[in-house]
Amino acid sequence: MARVPGVFRGRRLLAVGVVLIGLVVLPRFLTRDLVTALFFAFALITVALNYDLLGGFLGYLNLGQGTFFGGGAYAVFILTKHMPGVAAAGPLALIGLVVVAVAIIALFAAIVAYPLFRLKGAYFAMATFGLFLLVRQLILNLERLTGGAFGIYLPPGYYVDQRLAYWLMLGVVTLSVAVNYLISQTRLGVGLHAIRESEPAAAAIGIDLFRHKQTALVISVIPSALAGCLFGLHFGYVDLESVLGVDKTLLPVIMAMLGGTGLVLGPIVGGVLIRVIDVSLKNYLTLPIPALGVYGLILMVIGLFMPEGILAGLTRRRRVAPRA
Amino acid sequence: MSSLLTPQILLELLLGGISLGGIYALMALALSLALATTHILNVAHGSFMVLGAAASTLLIKYLGLSPVPSLVILVAGFALVGWVFELVCVRPLQGRAPDRILIGSILITFGFALAFEAGLGFYWAKLVDPQPTFSLTLTMPRLTLWGVSLSGTRLVILAFVCLAVLVFHLFLTKTPVGKMARAIAQDYEGALILGVNPRLVSVTIFTVGLLATALSGLFFILATPLGPHDGLRLTLVAMTVIVIGGVGSLPGALLGGIVLGITDVFTAFVFGAVWSPVTYVLVFFVVLLVRPQGLVGIRQG
Repeated sequence: MARVPGVFRGRRLLAVGVVLIGLVVLPRFLTRDLVTALFFAFALITVALNYDLLGGFLGYLNLGQGTFFGGGAYAVFILTKHMPGVAAAGPLALIGLVVVAVAIIALFAAIVAYPLFRLKGAYFAMATFGLFLLVRQLILNLERLTGGAFGIYLPPGYYVDQRLAYWLMLGVVTLSVAVNYLISQTRLGVGLHAIRESEPAAAAIGIDLFRHKQTALVISVIPSALAGCLFGLHFGYVDLESVLGVDKTLLPVIMAMLGGTGLVLGPIVGGVLIRVIDVSLKNYLTLPIPALGVYGLILMVIGLFMPEGILAGLTRRRRVAPRA
Repeated sequence: MSSLLTPQILLELLLGGISLGGIYALMALALSLALATTHILNVAHGSFMVLGAAASTLLIKYLGLSPVPSLVILVAGFALVGWVFELVCVRPLQGRAPDRILIGSILITFGFALAFEAGLGFYWAKLVDPQPTFSLTLTMPRLTLWGVSLSGTRLVILAFVCLAVLVFHLFLTKTPVGKMARAIAQDYEGALILGVNPRLVSVTIFTVGLLATALSGLFFILATPLGPHDGLRLTLVAMTVIVIGGVGSLPGALLGGIVLGITDVFTAFVFGAVWSPVTYVLVFFVVLLVRPQGLVGIRQG
């Protein structure tokens, strides 16, 4: 697997450990705003890494990864609001509810895999975006269950406090990195790679195309749903724009594309860049167009000038150098 | 269900559904011709319908121009926009590997759609109206036929659709560029060997197609208002029509459009307008499930 750099070997393993410990103790030295900014970044990078399992490893452009992020958040809030006995069990019941919510989203992904993977290329991409719009519209329409346009608020006392939320989200993003790395090292990853290169050839050597794609989708939605749950539980409410806004499903794609897809590090590099751009847009720069428009322009620039992302360009140069 | 389905209401709904579906068919036809000839999926396609709606609302409603000169300005403007769009967003992709073209086209046109929607919504709210909606009213007498009165506006929309589809048909079958476009859609390399210029086809298809789409936006808002953020939803509608009818097929597009249009108005009548958007995606998925091999008549990759 030439496309996966050995991040977790030898000295690099040490480096990863140092970075992780640094991130664990970091909140001590930062203001609340910055901790929240990092929390936000971890959430989006998680979704970007999950997106890349399909987008980069399998070559299927999933524009609807945000569906599972927002779906997870809504699932846990609906359970908290409507499940009998939650109030009696107290805030600790949230752990069980998060597990149930993530399981529901994983099941949902396993089911939608059947129609979705009848499609390829552009049709797959648009169908995943269609799924995202469908879920948004359903949440808007089913007011009794979801609160419609107003969203759902968490009862006081159920909020996950900032430090804890930060550490948990750090855990989720680490999990996503580990999942992507481990998948690249297993039969499943090799199968996905084979499918990306040529579906007929992969089928000819006995790879079950649909099972591989379905498994990849289900694995990819679990951390997204977890991140969505945590995101909602930390802020204490969910509504359409906060967890299912168009930015939630597109920013991860932009992050992965900017950094370089199919590389474990790609979405992280892209994610940090996008967050830096985002924070500076909100606090330091006043541009004559809204943030979503700026992301649109970034997407255009990536498509026009660096379709393989920043890291892909760098690693290719590095890979060629020793041979010369 | 609050109201009963009388023959009068049934006919009204059918006319509404067919005129709406006709606009969808026209828009989808332009998208699928571009896809068939250049392999570029223009995600910003629906945004051009919004552009048509916004520009005509601005000219006719806010600047008070009379319809005929504004139509001339709009046609010239939309053709220019289509040409520039091809030059900036489509031309750079040609020459990349086929799978790269697709990803690249989605990135570029999705980005364009986002930037356009955000910019339009922001500036319209700032300069024209804090609550951006694009709509036009046409004072037309109702037409009474066999004791049933029909909305004149709907008939105007239907007449536009018929005319545009006829023009498209003549363009594809009678003009040299239209014949080249059909040839290139059937067999890319074969057409190149016969001396077809893919650049000429690409620029013509995008200019004509986006002009038709923007104009259909003008007629769309005679019946249903649009907002600045409807572009991506409309692209999705066009994709659904293509899924039903096949790429590059004129009768297929008409069939798909009318199926969707009629589903839309009847869903709105029975369950309420908020459920119409849900049916589009459901029809999309149902078609995929019913046809195990996916999309009949579509060459992928």
